[in-house]
Amino acid sequence: MIEVYNLWKQYQRPNWALSGISMKIKKGDFCFITGPSGSGKTTLLKILYREILPTQGQILVDKRNILKIPDHRIYVLRRLMGIVFQDFRLLFHKKVFDNVAIVLRVLGVPKKEIRRRVFYSLRMVNLHNKMWEYPKHLSYGEQQRVAIARAVVNDPKIILADEPTGNLDPELAFEIINLFKRVNKKGTTVLICTHDRELIRHFGEKIYFLYRGKILRKESL
Amino acid sequence: MIQKIIFSIKDTFKNLWGFRGRNLFSVFIICLSFLIIGIFLSLSNNFQHIAKQIQKNLAIVAFLEKDASDENINAIKIRLENSPYIEDVLYITSKQAKENFRKKFPELNDIVDNLELNPFPPSFEAVVKKNILSYDETIDLVNEIKSMPGIEDVQFNKDWLERIQAFSRLSKAVGFFLGGILVLASFFIISNVIKLNVLARKTEIEILRLTGATNLFIRTPFLIEGIILGLLGSLLSLLVLIIIIKTFPVYLGASLGTLTELISFRFLSFSQCLAVLISGCLIGLIGSYSSLARFLNI
Repeated sequence: MIEVYNLWKQYQRPNWALSGISMKIKKGDFCFITGPSGSGKTTLLKILYREILPTQGQILVDKRNILKIPDHRIYVLRRLMGIVFQDFRLLFHKKVFDNVAIVLRVLGVPKKEIRRRVFYSLRMVNLHNKMWEYPKHLSYGEQQRVAIARAVVNDPKIILADEPTGNLDPELAFEIINLFKRVNKKGTTVLICTHDRELIRHFGEKIYFLYRGKILRKESL
Repeated sequence: MIQKIIFSIKDTFKNLWGFRGRNLFSVFIICLSFLIIGIFLSLSNNFQHIAKQIQKNLAIVAFLEKDASDENINAIKIRLENSPYIEDVLYITSKQAKENFRKKFPELNDIVDNLELNPFPPSFEAVVKKNILSYDETIDLVNEIKSMPGIEDVQFNKDWLERIQAFSRLSKAVGFFLGGILVLASFFIISNVIKLNVLARKTEIEILRLTGATNLFIRTPFLIEGIILGLLGSLLSLLVLIIIIKTFPVYLGASLGTLTELISFRFLSFSQCLAVLISGCLIGLIGSYSSLARFLNI
């Protein structure tokens, strides 16, 4: 599903954020990328969803060379993905329903279908009873669950999560990763960046250890 | 597709209402810009109207010497009647001229009545044909008549026509110059208002980008916003112009005296109104687009 070949990224000379990373993530994999702060986890993720371009290297996502996609066609790549961030990135002036529905509105999905799919997504994260509330009235854990509902509402092929449990206590963090697991069981490839060793020990199947922009080791449990 | 359009339009109106303070400010500035253009354009319209009235009654008035012989008078009459540029020739005696003056200026009747002699010379009034494009030949005729015996003076109100037309052009130019500066200012204001709207919705735009929205989908609400601001501003300027035109004669008309006719406003024609509205929309669209190109990094 995701193939990365000899990926290099430099923001400022002489430091390399990523130094010759190569990895293969198969369809349906549940994968962790871990490492200390500044190891290049977020940079790698940003390159995968084409927020930034690498200095050198090749990336295939769903057999498509994403570096050859012109800027105005990036939306085609992004529609394959659901992205979850540490800071949730919710719209606080819109209700929970609208926060999730925005993805489907972008695609021009009919109103009835939007209602059905948003309800289904929110039920999956057990927030269907808070559909008409504003995110600011929800707890951090609930807010992150809304962000996950938003990421999966479109049935993406890949979920990319950047420190999705960074702001949550361990109990909530486990709950969130369990949610990702449930999504993964349906066949969605999940790639999570985290530095939480406890989570990795508990859920890790395929783990990439990053250190100073290099893959230090790869573990498959 | 229809769903997307509905979403964009709803989004636009939500934003317009959400940031109503700054949006109203930009509408006000656009309105002011077009109002300036509108005022000068309507003044110019009035000058054009007066010019047309003069053009309709364009005439050569040949004043005769008091002691002009019948022979000379006849020769002048024949020359005027035979000219291909003259439609009609009217002979006005001194008595008739005096009567005409009395009718036109009744407040001066006392002065006229107290005069011992009739100061008004007899004259020929020759109405110039309406379909004449160039007045060069007519001026030749005027010069020819001037040199004929028995003529005291010849007046041709073409000079007035030219003066009024010059006023019309001047007023248009002043309007476009002042209005142009303000339109430029309103262009930058729209551009900055849209920039602020873009910045205020940064997170939303980012989420839209990451969820696979096309650039057009993200840009459309801002572009519609710009168009609506431009349209509202120009529409408002036309409404204010109507109010000015209606109230101007009531408040200032009387104090202007004889100048009332000259300095009054004539409302814009349908095509001028349409041009103002389209320009408003275009300024909104271009202002918004330029802002998006600079600040919406998608």
